[in-house]
Amino acid sequence: MLNHILNAFRTYMHGDGAVLLPEMQLLLFGIGALAMDSWASNTSNEGPGGDAAFQQKYWNPAIALAGIAFSALTLWMLRTRIMQSGDLAGFHMTLVVDSYFVFFSALFLAATVLVILLSMNYAAISPMRQSRYYALLLFACMSMMLMVSAVDLLVIFLVVEAASISAYFLAATPGLSNRTPSAALKFLFSSALGSALVAYAFSLLYGLSGATNISQVAVALARRHNVAKVIALSREGGSHGLQMLQLLQSRLPEAVHWHAWTLEALPITAFLLVSVGMILKFAVAPFHQDDKGVNREADFGIPSPVILYLSAAYAIAAVALLLRSMFTIFADSQNIWWVIIAALAIAGISYGTFASFCQTNLERILVYLSLAHMSYVLLGVVAANEGAATAMTYYLFTYLFIATGMFGVLVAVCGKNTSWAVLKDLSGLRQRSPITALLLIIFVLTLAGAPPTAGFFGRYYIFRALLETGHRYTAWFVAVSSLAVAYSYLRVGVYAWRSSKSETGSRAVTFGIPEAIVLGICVFVSLAAGLYSEPFTRMARYAFGQ
Amino acid sequence: MLPLTHYLFLSFALLFIGVIGVLTRRNLIIKLFSIEIILNATSINLVAFARLYGDASGQIFAMLTVVMLALELLVALAIIAAVCSRWKHARPTDEKDLSPQLDY
Repeated sequence: MLNHILNAFRTYMHGDGAVLLPEMQLLLFGIGALAMDSWASNTSNEGPGGDAAFQQKYWNPAIALAGIAFSALTLWMLRTRIMQSGDLAGFHMTLVVDSYFVFFSALFLAATVLVILLSMNYAAISPMRQSRYYALLLFACMSMMLMVSAVDLLVIFLVVEAASISAYFLAATPGLSNRTPSAALKFLFSSALGSALVAYAFSLLYGLSGATNISQVAVALARRHNVAKVIALSREGGSHGLQMLQLLQSRLPEAVHWHAWTLEALPITAFLLVSVGMILKFAVAPFHQDDKGVNREADFGIPSPVILYLSAAYAIAAVALLLRSMFTIFADSQNIWWVIIAALAIAGISYGTFASFCQTNLERILVYLSLAHMSYVLLGVVAANEGAATAMTYYLFTYLFIATGMFGVLVAVCGKNTSWAVLKDLSGLRQRSPITALLLIIFVLTLAGAPPTAGFFGRYYIFRALLETGHRYTAWFVAVSSLAVAYSYLRVGVYAWRSSKSETGSRAVTFGIPEAIVLGICVFVSLAAGLYSEPFTRMARYAFGQ
Repeated sequence: MLPLTHYLFLSFALLFIGVIGVLTRRNLIIKLFSIEIILNATSINLVAFARLYGDASGQIFAMLTVVMLALELLVALAIIAAVCSRWKHARPTDEKDLSPQLDY
């Protein structure tokens, strides 16, 4: 009996289970973090203070980090396996493990590590709920890894929903007192609308092809022009039309019901809905804070590490999924739909940039501009050559670290009031802590796109890819709007460089060890990826199998 | 079975109604209903196409869509409950704010 179970388990782990191994590790450790919390709160009855507080403060991040370490280990083993024997596919070809998955999963694991380190000392997360928070981070990371692994329409929708649900719970993480998650509510509605649009688009794609695997959908979409011609011919009268009708009925009986225009209009509609839906998923921008005249202490925004996770890691997952679907399903008709994606991306860049001009709240500036960054990456899809693919993954990779560094500096400067920090809270940073001011300037320059840093190279590679494929106006828009984005970021940097005239901003800047680690890693990546970008571009090319 | 375009028009109309509903209505529960309407439009599409192709995966897709929608509603209602438990005690009194309201 036991042998039987063990054999079944072993067969599973060698076959389908190997595809899911990194995600399984994260799931197990997430459940472990929750179980740890219930054990700890059962065995110690005192409130915060003493042993219980220590356990709750450091066990949860430790378990979460251990989970990520194990998951990274299995991811590395999978990488070696696919380098030796080719890509893995499991669960009836609905989940794949290829280099794209390995690259982005590693990126998500790194993002989760950074966010865990940043939130260890973040005071605005209630210590009583920390285990749920860390478990949710692991579950969110797991579902983001599944997002880049799924290749079946149904499974893509399921994991997008799973990731969204983790994101909603993360956004509604309660703070120190009884606060209402009204900002999470706004995020929920926009993201749920995005999911619904994506579901509708997938139903259209299923209907056009009769299959849910995205490569089969791609094949069906690629041959739809021929099918349209045959349908148009078969509707004519006469013997020729009758012959065509019989041919159609014998080969593709369901297509008798199609009109020719549906075969042209439906894929474009599906594409539009998928793009708009996924863009709604990473347009976190206006929702991080509910500030329309409500009590600041009672209604809180989304905690800063969570808003970093949503605007950086979750957005990267959405863009990665969108890229995989665009490069597979809609690959053949790229010369038709690049206009749509260019228009959406230009709208995103403009909205993000112009909205950040009028903002004084620091987090809102960063989150609005994160929408602009993700739209820049989408512009790489317009120029669909290899250089563009490398540019996009390089940009996503470096953006994660730069954004994390920026948020890390903010958390170090403003503490638990980061959600409400305005520009003038930064003034006098040079006197308060020159190191923090220097770090802030480095991250601001990187995000603004100053030449020797990683931010410049990301946008430059996309600019070059657009010029190479002949999209001149889009390329010049990238160049000009970079100036506007740079202005927004430099506005933030200027405030840090000024000396303080008033008593605001007299709070001491505290750095724990975790924040120091995070900032060190992020500074290293943002400078090294610019100054010596060859290893990073090689990593970016690896994501597409080269 | 009716001609396929009838089902497509119905589901597109429902999609449109749902999107307008989410964007326009301020009552939170009605917003949730509108998202549900969009997902029901998806299900109509899926089942019609499954009937057309004689393929079961569309129907399974429809069932799983309903399941995921139920989970999402669960999360949404949990957050709404947390929000409204405070609003009942101390509802924001200045009505010029545009935050969504719940009329219970």
